[in-house]
Amino acid sequence: MSKKAFFYCLFSFLLLGGCEGQGLQPELGLNPRISQPGDDSSPSLAATGMAWIAPGSAQVRWLDFSTGFGSPLPGLNRPDAQPISVSVDSAGKRFALVRSLAGRTELLIYERNLALLRPIGLVPAGVPAKVAISGDGRVLAVQVSRGGRWQVELLDLP
Amino acid sequence: MIWQVRCKQFLLLTSLCLLNACGQRFEAPGIGDQQDPALSGNGRLLVTVAERSGRRAVRLVERSTGNELPLKGLNWGMPHRSPSLSWNGRYLAFILQRGERSEIVVFDRALARLRPLPLPGERSPQALTISPDGKRLGVQLLHRGQQDVELFNLPSHEPDLPPGAPLR
Repeated sequence: MSKKAFFYCLFSFLLLGGCEGQGLQPELGLNPRISQPGDDSSPSLAATGMAWIAPGSAQVRWLDFSTGFGSPLPGLNRPDAQPISVSVDSAGKRFALVRSLAGRTELLIYERNLALLRPIGLVPAGVPAKVAISGDGRVLAVQVSRGGRWQVELLDLP
Repeated sequence: MIWQVRCKQFLLLTSLCLLNACGQRFEAPGIGDQQDPALSGNGRLLVTVAERSGRRAVRLVERSTGNELPLKGLNWGMPHRSPSLSWNGRYLAFILQRGERSEIVVFDRALARLRPLPLPGERSPQALTISPDGKRLGVQLLHRGQQDVELFNLPSHEPDLPPGAPLR
């Protein structure tokens, strides 16, 4: 092996080793915009931002990565409802939500562009607890309690 | 323009109102409760935490066939929770319980390699989400009795992009 090739291999090895050592790097520019007094929960990442349940009056929030600021979600939150789980598609346009309202737990889909919120019925009936939406917004996975057992159910969305 | 928006709104409303159908379930002998679902970007893969012989471990299923996909190289002796998938399912991030400690791990399915990602400080991960490209994590952390959500970059990850997506 020539001297040049040896140094090239050594350099590549060090470069790869350096990359390998890079673990979790906090996003110092964005994290202060999320943090609030109280308990935050249920983070869900899109390509364009993040949805999560913020403390206080327990609201679903949206942080837009392109601006670094929150954006409003008209028609999604209401003061008498308690969000339990939220998930967002890759484009940040379609949200899936489980929330508690008037003693009932319901599963909903929110269309951000249209500010539309619609309930999704489960057949047979069950109590939803956790929800995940696919990145393309076409499939929903729901954790449901039925007869004392936890099941996961998939639903195709229009 | 307004007419088009109204039309789209009406079609969406109609179709969503019809969404009261039976869902698809992937149960199997020996599998107990299933929790913590997450989907790949195109919905092709479903990951859950399934109870098997009293242990809670991630279970990856291909939706079209219902087949369970092998996850060689994972530590099956310790409980798993809060799995999340990147767009094509290359990266599977989840929380691994090692005795009293919880730690974040990312399993790279392309390389069959499990990578622990220690958190700075005395913070315990409670839930997580990986971005569609696999280059970012959102983590719900417990620290001194308070739950916070924080974002982290994973600079060494190759992006896991949807087919046809431009490389940046």
